[in-house]
Amino acid sequence: MFRKALLALPVALALGATANAQKAPEDVLQGLIDSIDSSYLTQSEMNLMMMPDSPALWLIDDGKDLFHEARGPNNVSLETCDFGKGPGVLEGAFVEFPRFFEDTGRVMDFESRLVHCMKTIQGFTDDDPAIRTKHGNAADITKLQTYVASLSNGHAWNPPMDHPMEQAMRDAGEVIFYRRAGTMDFSCSTCHAATGKRIRASVLPNSNVPEEWTKAVSWPAFRVGHDNVRSAQHRVGECYWQMRHAEPVWGGTGMTAIISYWNDRARGQPAILPDMKR
Amino acid sequence: MFKKTPVAAGLAAFASIIIAGGCAVADAGKTGNVDYTAMTSQELAEYLIFEANGFNVDQEVQEGGTAKQRLVQDEMHKACSVIGGGKPDQATLDAVRTAAAASITYPEGGIQLGDWQKGRELAWSGFGYRIGHNPDDHGNRPVGGNCYNCHQLATDRTGGTVGPSLTGYGKTRGTSEAILKYAYDMIYNPHAYFPCTNMPRFGSSGFLTQDAIADIMAYMFDPESPVNE
Ligand code: HEC
Ligand code: HEC
Repeated sequence: MFRKALLALPVALALGATANAQKAPEDVLQGLIDSIDSSYLTQSEMNLMMMPDSPALWLIDDGKDLFHEARGPNNVSLETCDFGKGPGVLEGAFVEFPRFFEDTGRVMDFESRLVHCMKTIQGFTDDDPAIRTKHGNAADITKLQTYVASLSNGHAWNPPMDHPMEQAMRDAGEVIFYRRAGTMDFSCSTCHAATGKRIRASVLPNSNVPEEWTKAVSWPAFRVGHDNVRSAQHRVGECYWQMRHAEPVWGGTGMTAIISYWNDRARGQPAILPDMKR
Repeated sequence: MFKKTPVAAGLAAFASIIIAGGCAVADAGKTGNVDYTAMTSQELAEYLIFEANGFNVDQEVQEGGTAKQRLVQDEMHKACSVIGGGKPDQATLDAVRTAAAASITYPEGGIQLGDWQKGRELAWSGFGYRIGHNPDDHGNRPVGGNCYNCHQLATDRTGGTVGPSLTGYGKTRGTSEAILKYAYDMIYNPHAYFPCTNMPRFGSSGFLTQDAIADIMAYMFDPESPVNE
């Protein structure tokens, strides 16, 4: 697998010294599969085989170029963006989201923080395609997110809970996760609180099993069924659509609360970034 | 236990916080003068859902009105939402069961079996009531029952396992009045038998019409139906 070697190399080089961090995403997943008996983790033999050639891996390089390129009305790169570990520190930053930021006074998920930096540092506005286009492989946001996320591959999820706002958002997310409502009486826990259950052919991840849940929350991921890389916000929106609840606002407080809770449920387990999903 | 912290009281409590703070917050992120950390997690959740632009509550919905009402909890929702999972206490379960049984109404002329072939498609279809960026147009297609999402029925299609297998349902259970009533009740409001079940209330929520229920029941009970092969 020549392509595999080519693609894995930049990832491996860019990553730091932690043992897990030098693995490719499929190796992180394999480690989880070896650690626990899970029909969710093993449900797609095909995806396991395709992961070394995942189209998401190509976005890493695109995203890296975009990140370091001088862009936007202010013609500067994103190198001074603070993702919580200091300006320009990207390694391991992604797994420490959502996080409270003093400069905005709120808890932000990764995507919101990225957009914040593109606006405040580079001068983009909501109307610029760089920010307006949120969906698909071609979107700048998808590429940038995949790049920064890849620098947390194999790192354990560790969303900070030091600030009371972080704890408050996580706890509200927990309430929302278990809160039944809507035409079909669903809450997230209807489908994500048992092991090995299926909706039709899809095996459902159990939020109570961190080794399963880490794969569930590992986004961006190449969605085979969509033929595109998708983010965590896409998945939240998709599950709400199936639930017949109101649609969560992109980058809104509902998304942030849900993602605060779901990353916390994967705490301690290695992230698979970027992942491949059905 | 859950009942002692009614959501309404929580809502009232944080409404007064907002008034005291003297500001209305609409922006997605801005917390303004509202102190999230001064609220209980229940209060904050309600606040994020209804007040802080967390959800697109103004979207029109198929049943009329807006998406906001989809997020307002009824008594069953409140009683059966247990944080961390599990079921509420026995008294609450009994109350849910009683209310569910009282909600069930029967078609004029009694429970009928309809057309199993229509029922086959309805049991498979997940169409209906979905909103967001890709809302279902009920003018185009009938609302489906989603049964296959959670149940295996005839084995020519792959069903889910959130609920028990219903393969061979009519063949193994027969078609006595009692079993037809049970199946009808389960579709109409399953909390009458399984309080706080994960199965939706297809009748009392208005999700499925009487005709659709009759067709789906034919799919479950008709000897010709592939469910009973
Ligand atoms: C009616 C069932 C249902 C409900 C309710 C539901 N989901 Fe899902 N969820 C699914 C299905 C089906 C998948 C796809 C699983 C697969 O492909 O293996 C999924 C996937 C996911 C995933 C990603 C896992 C993957 O492999 O794709 C996450 C995370 C998730 N859901 C979170 C949530 C949250 C948060 C909620 C509540 C807002 C929720 N879900 C509500 C059915 C549901
Ligand atoms: C979200 C998942 C879900 C959906 C959708 C669903 N069910 Fe169910 N169903 C269940 C669960 C779970 C049970 C078991 C009851 C319990 O223990 O809570 C059940 C039980 C039943 C039973 C009783 C089975 C028995 O052995 O007595 C019948 C009948 C039934 N469902 C029919 C249907 C039909 C018909 C549909 C479609 C209109 C449907 N269900 C849709 C989850 C679902």
